[in-house]
This record gives sequence, C-alpha cells and structure tokens, in this order.
Amino acid sequence: MDTAPENVTKAMEIPMLLEVPVGPQHPALHEPVLLKVYASGERVVRVEVNTGYNHRGIEKLAEKNTFYKDIFLVGRVCGICNTVHANCYVRALEALLDKEPPERAKYLRVLAMELERLHSHMLIEAVMAEILGYDTLFMHIMRDRELIMKAKEILTGARVLADYMMVGGVRRDLNNEKIRRLNEILDKVEPRLNYYMKLFEEDVTIRKRLEGVGVIPPRDIINYGLLGPIARASGLKMDARLQDGYDAYRDVPFRIIVRDDKDSLGRMLLRWEEALNSLEMCRYILKNLPEGEAVPDEKRLSRVFPKGEVFTTVEAPRGELTYYVMSAGGTQPYRVKIRTPSFNNIINSGFVYIDHELADVPVILVSFDPCISCMERVTVIDYRKGTRRKVPIKEVVRGNA
Amino acid sequence: MPESDVGEPLKELAKEIQEMKVGRVVVILDPEKVEEAFRKLQERYGYLNVYLSTIVGTDLKSEGKIRMDYYVNVFSESTYVVLRTFIERDDPKIKTMLNISKAAFSGECETYDLLGVKFEGNPYLKRSFFVPKDVAEKGVFPLRKDSGV
Repeated sequence: MDTAPENVTKAMEIPMLLEVPVGPQHPALHEPVLLKVYASGERVVRVEVNTGYNHRGIEKLAEKNTFYKDIFLVGRVCGICNTVHANCYVRALEALLDKEPPERAKYLRVLAMELERLHSHMLIEAVMAEILGYDTLFMHIMRDRELIMKAKEILTGARVLADYMMVGGVRRDLNNEKIRRLNEILDKVEPRLNYYMKLFEEDVTIRKRLEGVGVIPPRDIINYGLLGPIARASGLKMDARLQDGYDAYRDVPFRIIVRDDKDSLGRMLLRWEEALNSLEMCRYILKNLPEGEAVPDEKRLSRVFPKGEVFTTVEAPRGELTYYVMSAGGTQPYRVKIRTPSFNNIINSGFVYIDHELADVPVILVSFDPCISCMERVTVIDYRKGTRRKVPIKEVVRGNA
Repeated sequence: MPESDVGEPLKELAKEIQEMKVGRVVVILDPEKVEEAFRKLQERYGYLNVYLSTIVGTDLKSEGKIRMDYYVNVFSESTYVVLRTFIERDDPKIKTMLNISKAAFSGECETYDLLGVKFEGNPYLKRSFFVPKDVAEKGVFPLRKDSGV
C-alpha cells in the first residue's frame, strides 16, 4: 500500500490508459498516454503524464528509408492529421531541392488541409459532447463529420490516410463534377456548424461544465509552450499559417481567430469558429482554383538530394507542427525530427489540472484535443481502509466514486 | 548572413550567425550561453512573443559531437531563431532550460531517452520516457548512429 502524503486521508489514482482501438497507424486520436491524477478528496493535487506506450521509432525509421518512402511513413504518424504531416515533410524536401509546386497544387494542398482541420475539430467537439453526457449530440456531430470525410475522399481518394502530397504537387486533381459535389457537401455542413456553435454557446449544462474550467493565462501558455487553439483561446495570436505563409496561405483569405476566454469553453468555441472559417476557405479555393497542372511527373523527380537542412512548420488542427530534415547528400535523410503539437500540449500541461475537481479532469483533457478515448480505468485508493478499487471514469465524472 | 536581423540581439554572444532554409536564423553558441541567449530574445521581443518551440538533438558521429538545436519561435517577428551548440558525444551534458522555460520539459526528456544527452538540473529525466523497456534496459540510445537499432 502506498504511504499517505501528509494531511491526506483518501486519494484517487486515475491511470487513464488510452488504448489504440483503430490500429497502430491511428494513434493520435486514441493516444496511449497515462495520466496519473492524485486527488485529495475531490481536489486534484498532482498529475503525472506517462508516455511511451506507442513509440514506433518513426524518426529512426525515417533515417533508414529513402526521402520518398518517408512521405508515406510520416503520413502515418497521425491518422487524423496525416495531410499536414505529409505537407510539412514534403515542403522540407522541396526546399532541399529548391523546387516550387504549381499554384493549382498549392491551392489543392490548402483545401485538403482545411478539410482536415474541419473534420478534426468536429471530432473533438463530438468527443467533448460525449464526455459531457450528450451521447446523441456526439452521434449527430459524427454524422455530419462523415460528410467532410466524404469530401476528403472525393478530393484525395481516401477518407483517412490520403497520401495526397507529392514533391512538386499533389497526387490527384479536381474536375468540375468533383468541385460541384464538394460545394454541395459544404452547403450541407455549414448550417450544422452554425447550429452546433450556437448550442455550445447557449446550452446551460455545457456552459456550466466548461466555463471557467482549465483557465490558462497567456504567460503560462508561453512558459509551458502550449500551442494552437489552446494558445489562441488565451488571447495569443500565433498561427503557423500566418507566420510562414506556406503554400497558398498568402493568397487564400482567412481569419486568425483569437478569444480571451482562456477556459475550456473558449477552446471549444474557438474550434467551432475555426471550422466555420475553414469551410469559407474551402469555398474560396473551389471558386478561385488556378488553372494549370497540379500533378507532377514522378519519374522526373530527383532521387538524390543535395546536402542541406530545412526546418518547416505547419498549422495542424492541434497547433504548430514542426519538421527538421537534414540531408548529408544521397537518397536517405541523415536526421528527421518531428515535433507534434500534442507533444507539447499534453506532456507539458499537467499543471492545468491542479486544484480542479476530479470530474473536471476529462473535460480539461478533451479541451486540449489530445486524441483520447478509452480512459476507462480509475483506481480509488482509500488510505484509511488500506484498499484500492477500480471504477470506470464515467462514475468519477458523475461523482459516484 | 541571413536576411532577417532577428538574431541581432545575440551578436555579442554568438560565435557565428548563419541561415537555414526556410528563412530561419541559426546562432551558433557555446553550450553555457544558450540560456542567456534565450533570455536576451525574451528581453528584446517581449516575454509573450517568444517561446521555445522544439529541441532537436543530432548525433554527429564522425565529428564526435552531439549537436543541440533549440528552435525559438519569435512569432511577433514571424521567424525562428535556432540556438545551436555542440557538446561532446562521449559525455553529452548541457544545462537544462527548465529554469527559464517549462516548455523544455518534453523535449529534454525525449532527447535524454533517445540520444542520451544529460540535461543538468532537470530532475525528471528517465529512461523509457518513450523507448520500450527492453531497449532502455540494454542502455541503448536509439537515435545514436551506432546504436544498432
């Protein structure tokens, strides 16, 4: 039995062991990370984040494969945001080769990435609805998200793993029929997004569970290196799309959405606003798609890369994603370093839970968009009785533990 | 010399200032000056405009060095400053950045586990942060070029 910390009679240890129910190529949403939460009564006093349950050694693998094979490898770092990973890496290769993709391909890349942001944001909003006990809302959002997955399939050929990015362009082009179908889908989804946003703004229960929970001041965001929607919901205007203006982001108009709420509600509302903005961007791209070629001839691409190093970034749905690629000359990279936004957002954010109620832990975690699902096992330790028992996390959320 | 003058506050500290694609400013420093350089960037551009984005360790086996790169995002200036330093490969040690930025936590723990760089003053370093237990128990650092992984 563990020894009780001073002045603590009962503690809860919550190993939120998140498993991978979809398969090893989809770890990001169902990320196996262990969050050990220590609570005194209902109050959280300490949080430990344990990692390493699904480390696949992709950086090492990338060193052993060719530059081109690695495009498919990095697309598999994350199922949800595979096109942003591939885009960031492909742009690094293009920088090494001093190659610029055609305008049409740049627009199509942005279209794929914004569709990805849309469905990624809808997914985490759905998960939040489920955590709050709104299972029907979860299903409704997921149903509408499926339309976006269809749109992604029309564009890239696959619902999830698109493998859409190529050095010097994209793998598939759009024709007028596909543009018509994509517009149809966007028309269907827009009113739904407005409805869900209104729901999150006005529903009493949602507001009660999210408002004022997990407040992060901007100083802490900077100090702990938290990124993306978390930073923007705390009033910081940081966005890699604005900063690096890669692909067509200098041409396609978009808004950087910044809110001052700093809490979980602000983070969720910010994602709805961003989803709506992404939808507008998709419409703009479909209307203003430049003429010309988008698909390069793979056979003409150089197999051998010159010596050099590149650092590229992309604004993934969860925040700034960075790639460092170093070539020592030849066909294989010397070093590939991938830093995903969740690496900072989840590992560094243990401090946010402190002094919150246990039932707020899942809410805060989901508001970080950590790619979670199966946090079902909770151990309750009673120091007076000297017992440990396991209860489902949902019981803790409902206050029955 | 890079086009951007974002590295200007570090001129006195730097051994050399270079450029990396795409538009990053690389400032080469002695290992003990990294923290001071980060502090200078904070002072110059404001605490809320500068954060430690990424830590990249690279094994340069043929030179007997490990190269440590600290990517600092100066987002008010829309650019990155790379604080670059070299440490001995045989006994890689460098002072932790945790005293100045908590964002270093994840990057330092990862770099220790994968490359074996000891960040002095970081009490959270442990093996198996990412690496599977069986590999960690053998004392292997997978990202070393001679690790055999």
